[in-house]
Amino acid sequence: MIEVSHLTREYSGRPAVSDLSFTVEDGQVYGLLGPNGAGKSTIMNIITGYLAATSGTVTVDGHPLPEEADAAKACVGYLPETPPLYPEMTVKEYLTFAAELKGVKRSERAGQVEKAARRTGLTEVMPRLIRNLSKGYRQRVGIAQALLGHPKVIILDEPTVGLDPAQVIEIRRLVRELGQGHTVILSSHILSEVQAVCTRVLILSHGHLVAEGTPEELSARMSPHGVLHATALGSRDAIIAAVGKVDGIQSVQVEEETNGEVTFTASSASGQDLRAAVSKALSAAGCTVLNLTAETRSLEDIFLELTEQPEESAAAPGQGPAEKEE
Amino acid sequence: MKAIFKREFRSSFSGMMGWLLTAFLTAASALYFFANNLGFGLPDFGYYTLYQTLFVLLVYVPVLAMRSFAEEKHSRTDQLLLTSPVSVWGIVLGKFLAMCAVFALPCLVDVVLILVLRVLGCTNIALLSNFSSLLCYYLVGCAAIAICEFLSSLTENQIIAAVLGFGALLLAYLMPGLQSLFSAGSVMALVVFTVLAAVAAFCAGLRSRSFTLGCLLFAALAVGIAVLFTVRSAWLTTAFSSVLGGLALFQPFEDFVNGSFSVPALVYYISAAGLFLFFTAQGIEKRRWN
Repeated sequence: MIEVSHLTREYSGRPAVSDLSFTVEDGQVYGLLGPNGAGKSTIMNIITGYLAATSGTVTVDGHPLPEEADAAKACVGYLPETPPLYPEMTVKEYLTFAAELKGVKRSERAGQVEKAARRTGLTEVMPRLIRNLSKGYRQRVGIAQALLGHPKVIILDEPTVGLDPAQVIEIRRLVRELGQGHTVILSSHILSEVQAVCTRVLILSHGHLVAEGTPEELSARMSPHGVLHATALGSRDAIIAAVGKVDGIQSVQVEEETNGEVTFTASSASGQDLRAAVSKALSAAGCTVLNLTAETRSLEDIFLELTEQPEESAAAPGQGPAEKEE
Repeated sequence: MKAIFKREFRSSFSGMMGWLLTAFLTAASALYFFANNLGFGLPDFGYYTLYQTLFVLLVYVPVLAMRSFAEEKHSRTDQLLLTSPVSVWGIVLGKFLAMCAVFALPCLVDVVLILVLRVLGCTNIALLSNFSSLLCYYLVGCAAIAICEFLSSLTENQIIAAVLGFGALLLAYLMPGLQSLFSAGSVMALVVFTVLAAVAAFCAGLRSRSFTLGCLLFAALAVGIAVLFTVRSAWLTTAFSSVLGGLALFQPFEDFVNGSFSVPALVYYISAAGLFLFFTAQGIEKRRWN
C-alpha cells in the first residue's frame, strides 16, 4: 500500500529522518512508535504529501510522490498533530467542506458526512460551532474528517494526546474498528496504546527505524526465557544445590529468605525456557515451589532499550534490525 | 477549488470582517458620489468617485487579504488543504476568487450608483465610460488582492501580512512621484541597478549554496551594467524609469478615468494578478521543501 525507501528529510541541514525504508501492507494497523522528536510526524507529513522528502522515494498505492501527488492524496485520510479545524464553522459545515475538498460527489456528501459523524460519535454536536467544542470533540472532528472520501489509508498523528482516559479508550476502540476496513497508521509515544491497537509496530529513534514487527514478535525476539524468578519452601543451600544441578542453569542468586521461603533468580546460558526442569528438580529435592515465572520483557523495556541509545550508535550501520532485514 | 471558494467567501461573512469592509468601501464611494456627482451634478463617476476613492483600497485590500494564508498557517489548517487532492493552484485560485467575489459586492453598489446617474439624465456615452472605469477599478482591486495574497502567504501573522500589504500598495501608489524623483540622473540608476544585481547575486548564491556562483553572477551583472553606463547611459535611465513605471500599480487606471478604454491597462492588471498568484503558488510549493 505504502512503500518508503531510503527516505531522508532534513530541516536546514539537520536530518529529522535519515535513510528510512519500510513497507506498509494492506489491512493492518501500524504503530509508529518513538520518543518525541524521533521523526514520526515528519514521516506522516511526507506520506501525506504535506512535506517533500529531501531524498528517497515514497509510493502510495502505486502513485509516486510528488509526481502523482493528487492521486496519492486521494487515497489517504490524515489527522495531523493539531486537528486542522476552522473554529468559525459548525461541525456539519466543516465536514461537508472537507468532503467536497476530497472530491466526494454531491449526491454522496450528506450520507458520508452523516456516517463519519456517527462512527466518531459526533451526531449530537453537528450544529455546534467548532470554536465551542471540547478538546475531545475537536479530536473526533479531526478523525471524522480523515474518514471522508473512503480513503484506503488513514493516518493519525498522536490521536489520543490530551484526551481523558475514557476518551482515549473510545478512540482506541474506533481505531481498532477502522483497522477492519482500512489500513491505519498511527503514531504515538505511548506504548500501551500501540500494544493495544496495532498489529504491527515500527520503532523509531533519532530518525532511524530501529525495530519492526508485530508486538508479540518484538517481545519474543527481545526477551528469551533465559531468566526466571521463583519462590520455594526449603533451605537456602538445598535450593541452590538443586537448581544449580539443572542442565543449562548458569547462575542462581538468592534475593530474599523469610520464614523458610526462598526467593531467587536463575539464569540460563542458552536462553531456553527451563521452568519445567527447575520445577522438577526442586520437587525432587523436597522443596515446594510456590511461584515460578519466566521473565518476559514488556514492549516498554524494548522500547526504552532501543530508543535510549545515543544518537551516534543508533546511526551506526548495521546496528538496527531494520538494516538486517534488508 | 469550488469548495475552497465557497468556504472562504462564507467565512468572510461569518465574522464582522466582511460586512465591515463592504460597509467601509461602500461608505467611501457613497460619500464621494453624494458630494461630487450629486452635489455638483457631475456625470463622471470614474474620476469623481472611483479615482478619488482609490486610496481607500490601500486599506481595504490588505485587510481583506491578510487572513488568506497567514491564518491557515497559524492555525495549521493548511495541512488539511495541502494534503487534500486539490492542487496548489486550486487552493490559490479558490482563495483569490473568493476575495474577488467579496470585493465585487461594493462594486455592485457602485453599479447601482452609476445607474442612478443614468436615471438622473447622464448620456449613454457617459454611462459606458462610467462602466468601463468601474471594470478597470475592479481589476485594480483584483491585482492588489493578488499582491496581498502573496504577502499573506509569506508570514504566519495576519497583522504583519496586512502591514506588508499596506506598505507594498502604498509604495505602488506613490510610485509615480518617486519615479520623477529618481529619474534625475543616470548615476542614481547605476547605483540602484548595482544594488539590484547584488541582491540577485546574493539570492542566487544562497539558493545554490555556492559562494563562487554568487560572486561570479554579481561580477557578470556589474560588468554588464558598467558597460551600459559608459556606452549608453541613457538606456539605463529609461530602463530604470520604465521598471519603476511598471511598479506603479494604480497609474494605468488613469487612462480609463480620462474617458478612454485602454486594453494595455486591462492586460497590465490581469497579468499583475496572474504573476502574483504564480508567486503565491510557487512560494507554497517551495515551503514543502524547507
